Amino acid sequence: MTVTVYLPLLLPVLVALAARHLADRARPRAAVLGLVTASVLTAAASLWSLLLLVLTLFDDLPAMEALNSRSGMHLPEPVPDWVAVTATVVLAACLINLARDVHLRHGTARRLRTAGPTADGVMVADWSEPLAVAVPGRPGQVLLTTGMLRVLDADERRAVLAHERAHLAHHHHLAVLLAAAAASVNPLLRPARDAVIYQVERWADEEAAAGLGNRDLVARAVARAALATADYRTPTPALGVHGGVIVRRVKALHRPAPAGAGWLLALPAAAVIACIALEAIATLDFFQLLDAWLIG
Amino acid sequence: MSDEEAGRRRARGELESEVMAALWAADEPLTPTAVQTALGGSLAYNTVQTILIRLLEKDLVRRGPADRGRGHAYWPAQDAATLTATRMRAALDERPDRQAVLQQFAAGLEAGDVETLRALLAERDS
Repeated sequence: MTVTVYLPLLLPVLVALAARHLADRARPRAAVLGLVTASVLTAAASLWSLLLLVLTLFDDLPAMEALNSRSGMHLPEPVPDWVAVTATVVLAACLINLARDVHLRHGTARRLRTAGPTADGVMVADWSEPLAVAVPGRPGQVLLTTGMLRVLDADERRAVLAHERAHLAHHHHLAVLLAAAAASVNPLLRPARDAVIYQVERWADEEAAAGLGNRDLVARAVARAALATADYRTPTPALGVHGGVIVRRVKALHRPAPAGAGWLLALPAAAVIACIALEAIATLDFFQLLDAWLIG
Repeated sequence: MSDEEAGRRRARGELESEVMAALWAADEPLTPTAVQTALGGSLAYNTVQTILIRLLEKDLVRRGPADRGRGHAYWPAQDAATLTATRMRAALDERPDRQAVLQQFAAGLEAGDVETLRALLAERDS
């Protein structure tokens, strides 16, 4: 119970690696489902590892201490106490982060959902900043500002609506929530979370393009809406040489829809399988340790 | 409900928001004919008229006599949208990291993207 309990904490690196390589090669839908599943399962493995480490403090309970000194023998202690204590703190921090994130997202969505009257699920806010937001809930709603409506023509507005409705129809907020929750458990999953945030936008773009039968139209709507936001918020510093996510989305729409690259999902799948196997071994080891403590 | 009927219902539903959007995008009140034109002329006059009446019943639009000729011109109800904006800002201002919480269309512009996007738009327009 040494390597087997620590290794799962590092395996999300494979998921992050896959996230980077999936970028614009795989179908967005496959990428989202694969990355979210792998993120959630490897994050669960991380939590389980932390829990096992916390439980090794068991031998420090007063009752066990008494047993230890009476029998005059030394109990096996594969995990140093300071590691177990650190694991306790990290586990507590993870759970608090998780609860806070879910609570905040939920609260924001609830407040936005009741912001105003809707015409078949669309709310209009009279605000000059161009914004279009999918607000999840039952039913989900689309929130548009007049600033957004005024920079687009009728076809482009249709594209934006189709894009936002695709977010709602496929519960993209859940995919993002799960990926974010996983990343808050294990920071190594942050690249996977960012990839999921990007891929749900691509998924909605592709769905809008398919629905309207016009990839160029969706590309134009994305470009125009993004340009309009430049007057309201300063663009963030450039991260890569190939341009930001908006440029990547527009360029992806100028190419044919990505068809495959499902094999790239083998990497996160391997990470998940390895995590489950290692956790199983670590758990068995832990029970043996427990036996040694209680019987020995 | 048959599939066809469901399709019609959905289509009619989506039209309401498109008409709403067209009224907001316009700078002045629109007659049903003007709405028809703004939406690319693919809708029947009667359909537009029906949708406008329904929006009027929902209190999402207002109407008055048209400038020229007979009939009515329609404009979006300002008060509801202003209130929506106020509530929206209140909900968003609590979150400095709104990018992380909301799926926003076309957010996340980086330095240098503006020029690239202008070039991409110009390239496709020509």
